[in-house]
Amino acid sequence: MNNSEKKRMNGEAEEENEEDVEDEGRDAWERTYTDERSWEALEEDESGLLQPIDNKAIYHSQYRRRLQSLSAASAASRIQKGLIRFLCVVVDLSKAAGEMDFKPSRMAVIAKHVEAFIREFFDQNPLSQIGLMIIKDGVAQSLTELGGSPEAHIKALMVKLGCSGDSSLQNALELVHDTLHKIPSYGHREVLILYSALSTCDPGDIMETIQKCKKAKLRCSVIGLSAEMFVCKHLCQETGGSYMVALDEGHFKELLLEHAPPPPALAEFAIANLIKMGFPQRAAEGSIAICSCHREAKVGEGYICPRCKARVCELPTECRFCGLTLVSSPHLARSYHHLFPIEPFTEVSARQLELSRVASKTCFGCRESLLTPGTNKAGPCAACTKCKQYFCLDCDIYIHESLHNCPGCESRRITPAAASVTMS
Amino acid sequence: MKFQIEEVTVYFPYDNIYPEQYTYMVELKRALDAKGHCLLEMPTGTGKTIALLSLITSYALAKTESPIKLIYCTRTVHEMEKTLAELKFLHNYQVKHLGAAAKMLAIGLSSRKNLCVNPKVSSAENRDSVDAACRKLTASWVRSMAAENPNQPTCEFYENYDRAAGGAVLPAGVYTLEDLRAFGKEKGWCPYFLARHMVQFANVVVYSYQYLLDPKVAGIISKEMQKESVVVFDEAHNIDNVCIEALSVSVRRQTLEGAIRNISRIENEIDRFKDIDAGRLRAEYNRLVEGLALRGDLSASDAWLANPALPDDILRQAVPGNIRRAEHFLHVLRRLVQYLKVKLDTDKVEKESPVSFVASINSDAGIDQKALKFCYDRLHSLLMTLEITDTDEFLHIQTICDFATLVGTYARGFSIIIEPFDERMPLIPDPVLQLCCHDASLAIKPVFDRFQSVVITSGTLSPIDLYPRLLNFHPVVSRSFKMSLTRDCICPMVLTRGSDQLPVSTKFDMRSDPGVVRNYGKLLVEMVSIVPDGIVCFFVSYSYMDGIINSWNESGILKDIMQHKLVFIETQDVVETTLALDNYRRACDCGRGAVFFSVARGKVAEGIDFDRHYGRLVIMFGVPFQYTESKILRARLEYLRDTFQIKEGDFLTFDALRQAAQCVGRVIRSKADYGMMIFADKRYSRHDKRSKLPGWILSHLRDANLNLSTDMALHIAREFLRKMAQPYEKTGSTTGRKTLLSQEDVEKLGGNGAQEMLY
Repeated sequence: MNNSEKKRMNGEAEEENEEDVEDEGRDAWERTYTDERSWEALEEDESGLLQPIDNKAIYHSQYRRRLQSLSAASAASRIQKGLIRFLCVVVDLSKAAGEMDFKPSRMAVIAKHVEAFIREFFDQNPLSQIGLMIIKDGVAQSLTELGGSPEAHIKALMVKLGCSGDSSLQNALELVHDTLHKIPSYGHREVLILYSALSTCDPGDIMETIQKCKKAKLRCSVIGLSAEMFVCKHLCQETGGSYMVALDEGHFKELLLEHAPPPPALAEFAIANLIKMGFPQRAAEGSIAICSCHREAKVGEGYICPRCKARVCELPTECRFCGLTLVSSPHLARSYHHLFPIEPFTEVSARQLELSRVASKTCFGCRESLLTPGTNKAGPCAACTKCKQYFCLDCDIYIHESLHNCPGCESRRITPAAASVTMS
Repeated sequence: MKFQIEEVTVYFPYDNIYPEQYTYMVELKRALDAKGHCLLEMPTGTGKTIALLSLITSYALAKTESPIKLIYCTRTVHEMEKTLAELKFLHNYQVKHLGAAAKMLAIGLSSRKNLCVNPKVSSAENRDSVDAACRKLTASWVRSMAAENPNQPTCEFYENYDRAAGGAVLPAGVYTLEDLRAFGKEKGWCPYFLARHMVQFANVVVYSYQYLLDPKVAGIISKEMQKESVVVFDEAHNIDNVCIEALSVSVRRQTLEGAIRNISRIENEIDRFKDIDAGRLRAEYNRLVEGLALRGDLSASDAWLANPALPDDILRQAVPGNIRRAEHFLHVLRRLVQYLKVKLDTDKVEKESPVSFVASINSDAGIDQKALKFCYDRLHSLLMTLEITDTDEFLHIQTICDFATLVGTYARGFSIIIEPFDERMPLIPDPVLQLCCHDASLAIKPVFDRFQSVVITSGTLSPIDLYPRLLNFHPVVSRSFKMSLTRDCICPMVLTRGSDQLPVSTKFDMRSDPGVVRNYGKLLVEMVSIVPDGIVCFFVSYSYMDGIINSWNESGILKDIMQHKLVFIETQDVVETTLALDNYRRACDCGRGAVFFSVARGKVAEGIDFDRHYGRLVIMFGVPFQYTESKILRARLEYLRDTFQIKEGDFLTFDALRQAAQCVGRVIRSKADYGMMIFADKRYSRHDKRSKLPGWILSHLRDANLNLSTDMALHIAREFLRKMAQPYEKTGSTTGRKTLLSQEDVEKLGGNGAQEMLY
C-alpha cells in the first residue's frame, strides 16, 4: 500500500511541477486567460468522444496537502488557539493604493476582499471583534471601534474609500497599540495590515514602536501588495505574525482569508483563563423596549442581558451597562471546532476499495457511488481514520472545510451497538 | 561533515555543503597535487573562503610527510578578520574530530596601527606616525641609550618581548588580530613583533596583499617563507592593478621640496656626527667597502624597508665606490633632485623610456645607472648609521630613492611620464613626474617562482583566460563555477532605451544629450516607486555623477526621487562617505527607503556590501571605461599590445566589464538573498561586451532581457519582486534542483565521480 501510495504522490508532485513550470513560462497576457481555457479541459476517450478532464483529483490533492501541513503543524506542538480575538485591520490608503497593477485599482481590490474577509472572519470567530483603521496622508485614523457587527465595518470602509498622501507604519502601530492594549488578557490582540506602499514616513523611531508592540503582545501580520519590505518583515518576525506578499488578486484573497481561522496562541497566553459570559434570551415578539446600542425604541427584535436586563440588538457583544460579554450558544459551538479539528482522512487506493468489505461502494456522506461512472472501476476516495467509513472527495472537502464533523463518527456515537456490529 | 576527496579526508565544519563548493575543492586539490598555480572563479555568497580553508588545512593534515603552509592574502583588514574567524570555527571542528593532531598555529599579521597595544603609540592618527612612534621607542640605538640613561623612554611591551627572547612563542591555535592584542596584553609582549616573529613558524598566515607583492615590505616579512607554501589571493580581480601600483612612483613638487629639506637635515646630522663620533661613519664606509650584506646583521626591529624587488645577483654586488662615502652620496642625491626639478619645470607632456631617462641623467647630472640602482640601499644604511628614528619625516627622500632604484633597475615594462597639469584642470599647474609600471607580472613573478602553488580566486575573474596573460604565468587549473540556486534570485537586465525608445548610453558623444540624461532620470524615478528599501546606483565617474545629478536637480527629477526615497551620495572624502553610508543603512532599516549614488572604481564599489534589503536593485549607468585620454593608460595599453598581444579595445572592455560586474555583484552576498541588476547602456547588448561578464550573471541573463526599454524593465522588476517575496524552500530537495549536499550525497558523489553527477 505504501509503495503504491508513494508512487501516486510522486506522480502528482511531478504533475504539479510541470504545471508550475508551464505557468512561469507564460507571459502575463496569457496568464489572464489560463482560467478560462475551457477548450483545454477536454480530452478524447478511446471511442473518440470528447470528455471533460477530471480535475477533481488534482484539486483534491492540493487540498489534502494543505490540510496535512496544517495538521502536522498543530500536531508538532499541542497548540492552544485563541478563540476570542480582537483584530485590528489596518488598510493602507496612501497614494500607492491607487496604483493600477491590480484591476481596477489596489484600493478597490482591497475593499472587495476585506468585505469578504470580515464576513468570513465573523463566521469562523463569532466571539471575536474587529476594528478598522486606515492610513492616509501620513496619519492613521480609526474608522470603526472594536465591534462584532460586520455590516457596520463594511459600511464605514466603503464610505472612506479614496487614497492620498504618504503612509506611516509607525503612526498606525501607535494607534493600534492605543486601541488594543486595554483589551482584557483573555483576548488575543492581533493586527492585520494591508500595506500597499513601499516606504514609511515616520515621525520617530519605528524600532521602538515595534518593541512596544512586542511588549504589549500584539501579533502583527502584514500582507504586502507590491514587494517585500525589510521593516515589515522585521515587525512580523518580532511580534510572531506572518508576512506575505500577494502575487495577484487571487493570491491576495487567499492570503487574506488565511487570517480568518484563529492562529496558534502565543506562548505567553498559554494559561487557562475563566471568562464570565452571559447567554441572553431573545426578547419576546411584540415587546417594545429602547435598545442600548442605538438608543431607539424597537419592537420585538433584540436580546436581553441576563444580568441587568438591558436590551441589545445583536450578538455577540458586550453589555453597555454591566460590561458582561453576551454570546449565544451556537457562537460558542461554532468556535469549538478550531480546538478539535477532524483528523485528515487517509487516502484509499482503487485496489483497496475493491478489496474492502464495504459491499455498496458508496460514499457514506452523500450515498453517491464511489465507482467511476461508465467504467466499473473504483475511483479515488478517502476514509476516516476513526470510523473507517469511505467518503468521496467532495464530501471529504466539505467535511473538513465546512462541516467540521465526521458523519460516520457522529452516527456511531448515537448507536454504539450498531457501530460495534459493523466493526466486528 | 567529513568526506573523502580522493585520498584526502576533508573536514568541513558544516552539516551540508553546496555542490559548487565540492567541485571547487576537487579542482583545488588537483592543483595542489600538481604543485601548480590555479585560477578559480566562484560567485560571492557560495562560501569560497571556507571551502579554501577547509581543503587546504585538510590537505596539510593528510600529507604529514611534507607539511605545507598556507599564506592567505586579503585586501582589507575587515576581510582578514572575517577569514580568521572562519578559520577559528574550522579549527575547533577539526580539533574536536582529530584531537591534538589537528593543532595548528594560525595568525593574522597587520600593521602596527592594528596590532600595537602600547597606548602612547597606538593613539597616533595614521599608519606612518604609529610606525615612527614605535621606532622611536624600539630602535636598537634608542634601547642602548636607555640602558645608560633610565630617563630615555622605551616600550615596555617590546622590552618584555625582547627579554623573553626565544621563550616568546605563541601556543598553537588560531589568533585573530583581537586575540593577538589580548595575548600580548596578558603576557606583556609586543603583539606586532611577536606576530612577525611567529610568521615563520605558523601553519597559516593571513595578511594583506602588500606583504607579498610590494617588494619593499615583502623583503622583510615574507623572505623566510618556505617553498612548500600555498599562496591564496582572495578577491583577486584587481590583482594586476595592485601589482602595478606596488611598483609605480609619482613625484610632485612637494616631494622634491621635501626631499631637499631631508637632504639638508641629513647633512646637518652628518656634520654633527663628524664632530662627536667620526668613527661611526668610517665604520659604515668600511662595511660598504667590504660589501657586507646589509640585512644580515641587523636586528629585527631595525629592518624597516628593504630593497625593491631586485634580482639576487644585484644584491650580491657591492655598493659602487662613488656613493660609499656619506657626503658623496648626498651630493649625488642633491644632483638627482635638482635634475628632477628641472625636468618638472616643463609646460608640455613628455613620455620617456627608462633607458633614455637614465642616459640623460648620466649626461646631465653625471649619475650612472649603477649608482641609481643602489640609492635605496645606500639611503637605508645611512639613515641607520645616523640613528634617525622619525622615519615618517623622511618619506620624501625615500620616494626619490625608490624612484631612482626602479629606474636604474628595470629597462622594460616601465615608462616615465611628465604631465605639467591635470588634464581636467588645465589652468592649474600641478606638474607630476610618474614612473609607471605597465607589467603586472614583474611584481608577482617572485611569488610565482618561489611558492609551490598560488591560488588566485574571486567572484569575478572573467574572461578567465586573460589573467594568465596579464600576470604571465601558466595555471594548471582555471575554472569558473556557477552558483546553484533553489530559485532565480538574481535578475540581470540590459536596458538600452528609455520609455521614449531613444537609446541611452554614456558614450562620449551621447552623455551630455538631454534626452539621455532625462531617460536615465526617468528610469530611476520609476524604479524608486516600485523597489522597496535600498537602491544603489553606480556612475562611470565623479564628474559624470556631479553633472547628471545637477541636471536632475534642475529638472526636478531629484525631487521626484526624494518623494519615495532619501538620496545619499558618495564623495571623495572618506569620512563623509562613511557617514552617508551609515545613514543610508538606517534609512533602509526603518523602511523609509534610500538611494545611494556611487562611482564605479570608487571605495564603495570595491569594499562595501549592499546585501539583503540594503540593495534590492543596482543600476549601472553606463559602461565604466577608464579615462582613455590618460597618458599612463595609453602607455600601458601600448605595452600590453607589444608585449602580450592584447588588443587595446579588448583590455579596455575587459577592465570596464570587470568593474561593472564588481559593482553589480555587491547586491548578492548569499544564496538566501535576491536582487536585480540593471545595466543601463545600449552598449551592453553587444555581444563583445556582454560576453565578458562573469558566467554566473550571464546564466541568469535571459535573451528576453537583453534589449529592454524602461517600461518593460519596470514590468519585469515588479514581477520579480513579487515572486521573490514568496516563501521558498532553502534546500531545494523537492524541486529537483539540489543545492545542498548532505553527508550521504557527498559520499555518493565521491563514489561515482563528481563530474558526471554535477554537469
